[in-house]
Amino acid sequence: MTARHTADPKLDLVLERVIDVPRRLVWEAWTRPEHLKEWFCPKPWGVSDCEIDLRPGGIFRTTMRSPEGQEFPNVGCYLEVVPLERLVFTSVLLPGYRPAPAGDLPFTAIVTMEDRGAGTRYVAAALHADEAGRDKHEAMGFHAGWGKALDQLVALAKTLPGA
Amino acid sequence: MTQPALADDVFRALADPTRRKVLERLAKGPASVSDLAEPFDMKLPSFVQHLAVLERTGLVKSKKTGRVRVFRINPPRLRVAEDWLAEQRRLWEARLDQLDEYLHRLKAKEENP
Repeated sequence: MTARHTADPKLDLVLERVIDVPRRLVWEAWTRPEHLKEWFCPKPWGVSDCEIDLRPGGIFRTTMRSPEGQEFPNVGCYLEVVPLERLVFTSVLLPGYRPAPAGDLPFTAIVTMEDRGAGTRYVAAALHADEAGRDKHEAMGFHAGWGKALDQLVALAKTLPGA
Repeated sequence: MTQPALADDVFRALADPTRRKVLERLAKGPASVSDLAEPFDMKLPSFVQHLAVLERTGLVKSKKTGRVRVFRINPPRLRVAEDWLAEQRRLWEARLDQLDEYLHRLKAKEENP
């Protein structure tokens, strides 16, 4: 039995797609490095390396490469693997469920898929930590990354003339 | 919607704690390089590098007055980073667009090997 996720519109993204491609291919695209490298990072960035150990606690590692060639490794692990149905992974835990040091952007992603006629309906949800959590990390002096702890700064900037 | 490359640059610039602290300081008003460097235990050339990143991204502007270079914040650029969730959505949308495109290629390859 798996706990279901309830989206928090302030923190989570839920994207739904219907595509006229068999579910088997959608699953493979999410779970095989040679496929994932082709699409996982929005261009002009790319994925230069990817490692997948497709089982709960198994590694999910992608190395993102900037257009200038700078590389940013991301390591996380899978939490749930239900072939052709459901894939859950997180940046918050390393392989073997060891807690990760605070990373750029803590998230858990849930991907579910089902047949829709001859095609597939899939839903990708990205769950993020709450703002309080982000601020706390900040106060503890962790390196922050994408978007983290910007709220305060932006709120400050909005009060400035010309904003 | 913001330019993706610009958003990337802005987020990268903001990803560093020193640079965020500089921005917080500048949000209170303009300051010289030496004022800005003062709270940091860092060699001046390294610190100036951080300022250069911020200026290149357009998050701050500087002007030389006499022998002193004064920095000020550039609020419009900060708004690029404003809607954090919108940026995340942009990232995921772009990712899934690429996935769908790739899936169509995979399917075509299977049908016409």
